[in-house]
Amino acid sequence: MTTIIEAKHVNLFYGQKQVLFDVTFPFEENAVTALIGPSGCGKSTLLRCMNRMNDLVPNCRVEGELLFKGKSIRNEDPVSLRKQIGMVFQRPNPFPKSIYENIAYGPKVHGIKNKNTLDDIVEECLKKAVLYDEVKDRLHDSALGLSGGQQQRLCIARSLAVNPEVILMDEPCSALDPIATAKIENLIADLKKEYTVLIVTHSMQQAARVSDVTGFLYMGKLIEYGETPQIFSSPQDELTEKYITGRFG
Amino acid sequence: MRGVWFTSALFASLAVIFILGYLLITALPVFFEVGLTGFLFGTDWNPTGTNPSYGIGALIVGTLLVTAGAMLFSVPLGLLSAVFLAYVAPKKLRDAVKPAIELLAGIPSVVYGFFGMLVLCSFLQKVFDVPSGFSWAAASILLGIMALPTIVSISEDALSAVPKDFREASLGLGATRFQTISRVLLPAAASGISAAVVLGMGRALGETMAVMMVAGNSAVIPSPLWDVLSPIRTLTATLGIELAEVSAGSMHYYALFGIAVVLLAITLAVNLASRFVTRRIETGKQLFTLPTLPELPVRIPPRVTEKIAFACIYLGTFAVLAILAVILGNIFINGIPAISWEFLTESPKDLGRAGGIFPAIVGTVELVFGAILIALPIGAGAAVYLHEYAKASHITAGIRTGIDLLSGTPSVVFGVFGFAFFVIFLGWGICLLAGMICLALMILPTIIKTTEEALKSVPDSLREASLGLGATKTQTIFRAVLPAAASGIITGAVLSLGRAAGETAPIMFTAVVFSKRFITPDLFEPVMALPFHLYVLTTSVPNTEPQQYATAVVLICMVAAIYVTAAILRRKFQRNLA
Repeated sequence: MTTIIEAKHVNLFYGQKQVLFDVTFPFEENAVTALIGPSGCGKSTLLRCMNRMNDLVPNCRVEGELLFKGKSIRNEDPVSLRKQIGMVFQRPNPFPKSIYENIAYGPKVHGIKNKNTLDDIVEECLKKAVLYDEVKDRLHDSALGLSGGQQQRLCIARSLAVNPEVILMDEPCSALDPIATAKIENLIADLKKEYTVLIVTHSMQQAARVSDVTGFLYMGKLIEYGETPQIFSSPQDELTEKYITGRFG
Repeated sequence: MRGVWFTSALFASLAVIFILGYLLITALPVFFEVGLTGFLFGTDWNPTGTNPSYGIGALIVGTLLVTAGAMLFSVPLGLLSAVFLAYVAPKKLRDAVKPAIELLAGIPSVVYGFFGMLVLCSFLQKVFDVPSGFSWAAASILLGIMALPTIVSISEDALSAVPKDFREASLGLGATRFQTISRVLLPAAASGISAAVVLGMGRALGETMAVMMVAGNSAVIPSPLWDVLSPIRTLTATLGIELAEVSAGSMHYYALFGIAVVLLAITLAVNLASRFVTRRIETGKQLFTLPTLPELPVRIPPRVTEKIAFACIYLGTFAVLAILAVILGNIFINGIPAISWEFLTESPKDLGRAGGIFPAIVGTVELVFGAILIALPIGAGAAVYLHEYAKASHITAGIRTGIDLLSGTPSVVFGVFGFAFFVIFLGWGICLLAGMICLALMILPTIIKTTEEALKSVPDSLREASLGLGATKTQTIFRAVLPAAASGIITGAVLSLGRAAGETAPIMFTAVVFSKRFITPDLFEPVMALPFHLYVLTTSVPNTEPQQYATAVVLICMVAAIYVTAAILRRKFQRNLA
């Protein structure tokens, strides 16, 4: 296994408040890594460091190193970084455009204009996101008419359309019902063949079901990380054990 | 009690119908005399010649050209500044700049006209080396500046209301900030932005004072049509200039009412069009497809486009702020030295060349307080009916349409109506009461809207609590709902005061005179008023520049004081709710 993203001694501050403490974590290529932990432990914040979405937050300061394929992302242009590291958000956030336009948006902003190429990308991405059969007859209808679960799969398809290497998922199922959640989880399992997936989730069952590696964060510190079966069957740290057995969080 | 509320609600609609009907009936003779086509499309407006002709084609074209020019000037600048405020500026800067731009909206139109005559027109004259700067360009630029605050403020609201999710989604896909703004955020805010543009356009279409002071007012169609330095004349300016001098009952008099009717029809058409557009955008239907730009041989890298776009955004915002600074700076630097205790407390002497403006200050105060005393009970009553009683029905829809129409009516139309009805038909002559009623009609829609907002902010639980204790609906409204909404209602009323204080067109034919020796608080006597005083000094009395500037400063300060009061009240109101 090769490491694609590596966090080295990352400290993060919102103004005076420190949110992440000395986090060091290697993320493996073509695997699903889950970050778990109670609300407010900093797992989403850590995820948003990877594609520099925290740049949008005023007064946010990051110390330490984050390496993407061995290079520090600090010197990377955030725009091209985000092209390589896509993101799926907590709430489905399709643009108020048609299904087609939502997916074509990314390729278009990156300069693809040919209609046939765009058609192909849209179809391919919708198929990868297992949404194509449900929407193929209404590609030009508004994306806002889809159900929540469909919208989230559309958002995944949209992030695939710019051909990223890594997909960050920030609690992608927290706004969805169990059936829609199951569909997304199956999809994640498919995606790891081609992509690296980092998923933040507050559901331990979900982490256990979908991930290969799990990291547990608590109060901004990375308490433990390792192979998912090992974390869930024989955690090394007492805090991890308490959390996964449901005694707090 | 319900009947009382209902009557006040009905009043607004009845007023619109009555005004429209009255204007139409008065205008009828001209339609019979020259025919509708001759009136609308005749291009020769010469009502006082030996062979008078009454074609308003040139005036309609003038109105449309001036408005189009104003939009061409203000929409790009306004959008750039709105984007800057909503997405680029740090929060602190935004919180400082937005009120400053909104302040531009509070400057009375006659002050803009005054600035235009003294500064803008002579600037154009020098820069383009023409005999006179009074022109289409001057009118369009001035109206554009006046429409800016509306466009900036409402577009900014719309842009800020776009969910943050969209922005993150787009940036997360590796789009640049400018791609995100132009491809996602602006389209998502399209309905709010088009509402802003239409409101700005309405302001430009209906404006009288500023236009007639700078447009040169020749009733000609510019030739060639794009000659922006040609003088031009609008419908509103024609009313403003000629109504005071026309003899009642002449064909010229009827023709002016025809103009008022046409003006109303145009504003009505714009309102309807804007509703249609907003609805289409809200239901997500494609209005028009933008033509795809021809492929460039080389793709400009998005980073370069972004740099250029951001440079434009900064420049646009800077231009807007510079305009604000130039206008206020010019007026205050020249005006403050001319203000003295005597100026504020004495009557004018020698046609305003000496003495002060005390009677004008008193007159303005009398006019605006009279207007609010009339409009507040009716407006608040109408709002109570609409919010607390009315169910969706044809009558309610009719009432709301009436209120919308009233709020879209150009202020000069109220003046024209008041002149014909109160001054001449009822035989009151030019008097305080007529001016109060005209101003009251003008601010009525604002009062209804702000009161309704205030009522909406009162939680239903409060009403239920009162009703649950066995109080009647009337008791609930008077003792629970209205007190809770009071500060909101008062804020709205104060804002209307500010607008009324700066208006000239509704009072210039109905209530004011240029000179009045004694202050007599009599409803059936004419008064002096600050905006009119400034207008007459600027246009008709040479060698009064210091007095003009000083009057402008006093007028701006008066209006600003009223707005600051409203802002304080609003803040207090919000704190009470929190």
